Amino acid sequence: MVFPTVQFAVFFPIVLALSWALMRRQSIWKPFVLAASYLFYSVASPTFCILLAGVTLGNQAAAQAIHRSDDARLRKRIVAAAVTADLLALGVFKYYGFFATEVNGALDGVGLGLPLPLAAIALPVGISFIVFQAISYTVDVYRGLLPPAKTIDVGLYLSFFPHLVAGPIVRAREFIPQLQSPRDPRKVAVGAGVALIVIGLVKKVAVADFLAREIVDPVFGVPQAYAAPDVLLASYAYAVQIFCDFSGYTDIAIGLALLMGFVFPQNFDRPYRAASFGEFWRRWHMTLSRFLRDFLYIPLGGNRKGKLKTVRNLMITMVLGGLWHGAAWGFVLWGTIHGVALVVEHQFRGRVRLPRWLAWLLVFHIVVLAWIPFRAPDLGLAGDYVSRLAHWGPATLWSVPVVLVTFLVIALQLAPARPLDALRVRFERLHPAALGASMATVIMFVAATVSSQGVPPFIYFSF
Amino acid sequence: MPATERDPFILDRPTGRRLRARDAIVCVFFAAVLLLLVEGSSIRSSGQKMDAGVERTVVLAVGNPAGWIADRLPLADAADRVTAFLSPDDKLTGAGGFDSAPVAGPAATGAGAGAPITRDSFDATDLGAKPTRLPELKTLLVTGDSLAQPLDVQLARRVAGDGVRTVRDAHLGTGISKSDIVDWGLLSTQQVKQRTPDAVVMFMGANEGFPFPGAGGRQVECCGPEWAVVYATRARRMMQTYRRRGAARVYWLTLPLPRDAPRQKIARAVNAAIAVAAQPFRSQVRVLDMADVFTPDGRYRAAMAVGGRETIVRRPDGIHLNDAGANIATGIVLGRLRADFESLG
Repeated sequence: MVFPTVQFAVFFPIVLALSWALMRRQSIWKPFVLAASYLFYSVASPTFCILLAGVTLGNQAAAQAIHRSDDARLRKRIVAAAVTADLLALGVFKYYGFFATEVNGALDGVGLGLPLPLAAIALPVGISFIVFQAISYTVDVYRGLLPPAKTIDVGLYLSFFPHLVAGPIVRAREFIPQLQSPRDPRKVAVGAGVALIVIGLVKKVAVADFLAREIVDPVFGVPQAYAAPDVLLASYAYAVQIFCDFSGYTDIAIGLALLMGFVFPQNFDRPYRAASFGEFWRRWHMTLSRFLRDFLYIPLGGNRKGKLKTVRNLMITMVLGGLWHGAAWGFVLWGTIHGVALVVEHQFRGRVRLPRWLAWLLVFHIVVLAWIPFRAPDLGLAGDYVSRLAHWGPATLWSVPVVLVTFLVIALQLAPARPLDALRVRFERLHPAALGASMATVIMFVAATVSSQGVPPFIYFSF
Repeated sequence: MPATERDPFILDRPTGRRLRARDAIVCVFFAAVLLLLVEGSSIRSSGQKMDAGVERTVVLAVGNPAGWIADRLPLADAADRVTAFLSPDDKLTGAGGFDSAPVAGPAATGAGAGAPITRDSFDATDLGAKPTRLPELKTLLVTGDSLAQPLDVQLARRVAGDGVRTVRDAHLGTGISKSDIVDWGLLSTQQVKQRTPDAVVMFMGANEGFPFPGAGGRQVECCGPEWAVVYATRARRMMQTYRRRGAARVYWLTLPLPRDAPRQKIARAVNAAIAVAAQPFRSQVRVLDMADVFTPDGRYRAAMAVGGRETIVRRPDGIHLNDAGANIATGIVLGRLRADFESLG
C-alpha cells in the first residue's frame, strides 16, 4: 500500500482510531497493529508476508539462543549465522539475478559454458529495510545493548507499517522500548505529526512527481534526444526529486508514527547545504549512515588502524552502501564516487581550507554528478547522459514551474532554518479541527496535481 | 564513514504542544470527512478503476456513499474549479469516444459480409509486391498501457539518432475494455490531433478482460466471440484513427501469453480480436506477433535464448516484458519501421 492513495486514506483513520481505542489493552493492541501492518504489506503481495514472518521468527530464535547461551564462541556463531541468513535472504531476492547475469557473462566471455540457472525473482518491497532492522535487533541483543524482546514485539518492530517499506531504519533499541508500556494518550504530538504528513505529501506529489514527469524521466530515459541545457537542468531536478521523494516518504512515516504515539529518528536534515561529504552523510539518509557506521565501518576498524585501513574501510563501506540500493553497477559507481570523495576529504582535512561557499559549490555539484549513474538505467546511458552535457542546443524542457521548483527547493535548504521552523511551530499549534481542515485542503490541492496515471511509487520502495 | 556528533539513540523530541489522542483522531477524521464531501466522487471513481478484489470492495464501500453525497453538493465543482490549473492531464473531450456514434468508414461497418474490401485490406508484401514506403518518419508515437514500457524508451533511444521525435504516452492501468479510466477512442483521437504521428506503436492488453456494455443493458463478459467482436470493433476504430487515412503506419503488438491461466484466456481473445480488427487496413496496420516470439506454441516461458545465451525476458509478474524482452520487441518494431520509412532504411 502506498501512503498517498485512496486505499491508505481509508486504512489509516480506521487503524488510528482502533489503535488508540485498544491502546490500554496491550494484549489486544499488539496483535491488532501487527495484523494491520501485515494487511498493509500484503497489498503489495501476500506471499511477501511469509518472508517477513520468516525473517522475524528466524531473528527472534537467534536472539533467544544468544541470550540463553553463556558460551561466547557459541553466541558469536549464532549471531554470525543469523546475519548470514538475513544477508542470504537479501542476496537471493535482490542480487541473485544481477549476480547470475554477470557471472554467466564473465564465464561466457572466457569460453566456459557453466551458466548459473536464471530465475525471474520478484523483489519484495522494502526488503533492504526489513533485513537491516532485523540485523540491528539480533546484533544489539548479541552486544548486550538490548534484552531479547517478546516475539510479538519483534514482529511489531519489523512490520510496523509507517516504516515498513522504506524506513527510516529504526534501531531495535529505539523502537522496542516504546512497546514496553502503552503510549500516553494525553501526550500526542498531533501538530508535529500533521505538519510532517502535509510537508511530506507536498514534497512527494507536488514536487518529486512533478519534476519526474516534466523533465527527469524524459531526459534520463532518452538523453540522446536532448542537448546540454535540458540535461543540466534534469541533473539538478533529479537531485531535488530524489530528496523530495525520499524525505517526503520519511516525513509522512514519522508523522503517522507520531499520531500513533511513536517517535522515529530523523532521516534528513537539509542535505544539500552540506559543505563537505562528511557533513552530507550526516544530513542524508541519516539512519542508513549510522547503520553502515555501526555495523560495517566501525567493525572493520573505522579510522583507528592507520591511514591505509581508514581508506579501505571508507571505500568498502560506501561501495557496499551503494550496492545496498540495488543490484546495478550504477549504484556501485555512486557509492564509489562518494567513497573517493570521503577519502580525499579525509586526506586533506586540516591541510586545505576552502571558503565555505566554494566548498559547498564543489560538494553540491559532485553530489549532483554522482546522482547520474544512480538514476541512469545503466552505465552506458549514464555515459551518454554525461556526454550530452557537451552538446549545446535548444532548451526544450525549461519551463518556469520546473526551474522555479528546482531552484526553490535547493534555495530553501540553504536558507536559515529558523523562520521556516517558526512557521511550522505556529502551524503545529492550531486547533485539531483547523489542523484537519488544513490537511484536507493540502490533500485536495496536492491530489489535483496527480496525473491520470496515479501516484508513482516512492523511489526507495525498490531498494 | 564519519561519526555523527550527537548520540543517535536519543530520539528527537517532536516539536509543538502535546494534545490528547482524541485530538489526533478528531483531526484525522475531520480531514477525512471534508475530503469525502469534496472528493467523494473521485474516491468512487478510484474504486471503480481498481481490479476486482477486497481492496476495491472496501474503497467502493466508502466511495459509493461519499460519491452520492458529493454529487448532491456544490463543493466538488467548486474544488475542481479552484484546482483545475494544477491538473497535468488534458481533458478528453470531443468526438471519437467509444460511446459516441461510430465514425464513417470501414470501422463503422465492421467486418460483416457487407463491408467493402478495399486496397487498404492488402499488405503489399503478402502479394509479393514492394511496399509503398513513406518518405520520412518525423514523429513516432509509442502508446498503450504498462506493456508499452520500457519498449517506448528503448525505441526512443534507437531512433533518436535518426532525428525522430518520439512521443511516449503510456497510460498505466488502462484498457480497451476498461474505458471508465481512459476512453481509448477519445484518447487516440486526441493523440492524433495533437501529435500528428507518422507512425504509432501500440502495445496494450495487461488490463483487459472487463465486460463490455451490451444491448439492452446486459454485460458482454470476456472472453467469448461476442466479447472479441466488441474488442475488435473498438481496436479497429483506434487503428482507423491512428492510420490517418493512410498517411501514417500503425504497429500493433499482440500479447505475449501471460503466466497465469485466466490471463492467458484473455490474452488469446485480445490477440484474436487484434488480428481481425486489422484486416481492412493491412496496407497500413502491421500486427506484430509477440505471442509467437515470446510464447511459441502457446507456452509461457520466463527466459529464452538471446544471442546464444539464456536470458530472462519477462518480469517476475509473468505479464510484462523486462528490459531484455523489450529490447527484442524493439528490434522487431524497428525492422518494420525501416521497411516502411525511407528515412530509416
